Amino acid sequence: MSRVTSRPEFSAQTLSVLAALSEQPSQWQHGYALAKQTGLKSGTLYPILIRLSDRGLVEACWQAEPQPGRPRRHLYRLTAGGLASATGALAASAQQQPSGRQAAAAGARDARQPSGHGVAVPVVR
Amino acid sequence: MSKLARVMAAAGRGAARLVPAGRRDWVAAVWAEAHGVPPGVERLAWRAGGVWVLAREALLPRRIGRAVLFAVAGAGAAWAAWPQPATGHLAEGRFNAIATVLLVVAVLPLLSRRFFGPPSPGRVARSLRVLCGAAVLALVSASVILLVSNRLVPTRPAYRLIWCIAQGWSNTQGCGGVPGRSSGGPTWQAEILVMLLITGYVGLTLFLTSRRAQIARSTLAIGVGTGWLFGVVMLAVDPLGFSKWATNPWLPGSDVDPLVALAWILLFSGPTAAAVLASRRCRGPDGTRPPHNVRIGQGIAAGLLANGTAAMFTATLGTGTTLLTVRSPWLLHWFTHGRHMTALATYRYELNTAGHAGGYVLMLMFFPVIGLIMSSLAAAIANPAPSDVWSSRPGLPITYRK
Repeated sequence: MSRVTSRPEFSAQTLSVLAALSEQPSQWQHGYALAKQTGLKSGTLYPILIRLSDRGLVEACWQAEPQPGRPRRHLYRLTAGGLASATGALAASAQQQPSGRQAAAAGARDARQPSGHGVAVPVVR
Repeated sequence: MSKLARVMAAAGRGAARLVPAGRRDWVAAVWAEAHGVPPGVERLAWRAGGVWVLAREALLPRRIGRAVLFAVAGAGAAWAAWPQPATGHLAEGRFNAIATVLLVVAVLPLLSRRFFGPPSPGRVARSLRVLCGAAVLALVSASVILLVSNRLVPTRPAYRLIWCIAQGWSNTQGCGGVPGRSSGGPTWQAEILVMLLITGYVGLTLFLTSRRAQIARSTLAIGVGTGWLFGVVMLAVDPLGFSKWATNPWLPGSDVDPLVALAWILLFSGPTAAAVLASRRCRGPDGTRPPHNVRIGQGIAAGLLANGTAAMFTATLGTGTTLLTVRSPWLLHWFTHGRHMTALATYRYELNTAGHAGGYVLMLMFFPVIGLIMSSLAAAIANPAPSDVWSSRPGLPITYRK
């Protein structure tokens, strides 16, 4: 007997990144700004950005004119498909009511990492 | 930019070369972004995250883990095979054996990938490959060390007499060998046989765990699980070589000891049960039951794995136990039930024990054959071909017996 399981499309952290990027979808954003918005560490944020880029949801480019005294920054924004996916996922996530232990875990995580978007996020691995 | 920052940036650029070309921008991005992070702990944490991204993208955990594992195993095996002055030309032979095994373990996976495709998805297949490689290396390393200690001609006359008798001579007359040196290694036929066996085991494991073989995870798990169960029983029966004499500590002189009877039963029923279970448990990608020929294939694979795993398990751990017994007085003391033994008796016991360890080759040869035969029969009987039974009476609708 195979067990049927339903898994959300995006993890809580990924949703927070999508939420941050979708606030100003046309604007390019750099990694540190995203890290501050989402509360994620660089070791978590960049693998998420890489995965989103691999799926064509995020586009990246290097800053055209670097600031004096510092290297060029890598910039990110949602693609058109990424914006649609993000909007859908965030809406679905907001509607979904986590229950029981998952809700507690999600609440605890949200308390630790305030994303500031009020997004109810599903708990995944 | 400070000197330290420049050094860090250069190190970052150099480290970025470790990752595939398509990923280097991302690693460079984390390092570049560090300049925008407030200095101090926060910047250090950011850079630590960058190191993690670098390691992750370079697939370092997997690649380095495999490389380190192989290097450690290879170094251990080479240490065991390192030529020593006292062992003479035998050292060369055992070095060849170790080198051949290392070559087999290193090259066969590459050939397997070329011909059978990448490993099956899932941890079972990968773990099985790693365990097989480790077992083969350990088995051959322990075997050559035992062989050296068994073939070393003692210098003292009393010991030499015992050694000559153990080698099949009735006395020291005609018993060759220079005291303090090796009397010679195994025949080249024996070496080739062992190498073929080892290559066969590694090759078969690689095939069964490859994508082309399409062996279900449940089949692998059932086969290996049955093999371990049987292997534990076999190890209890033959902890010190394939010899009744060696098992006396466990089984004092009884031919029908329950454990021996259980081992005989498992030898034939283990692959049979594994074959039936695996052929019933396997499912296609969509959850449906596969055709009967696929089920039979899964059953045969499970039975082969069961007895092959049991043989390798027993041979590796048994040879290791024998080596420990020869090297550790406390284990020898325990195996002989604390009986007081003179130095000469101990030497004789060690010689005989080391000699009997070679008997595991028989297990390695015949157990998989028995497993193959039993599982083929069991899988064929448990999964009969859907016979096309057409109704002979006219007018009846065509029926197909399921």
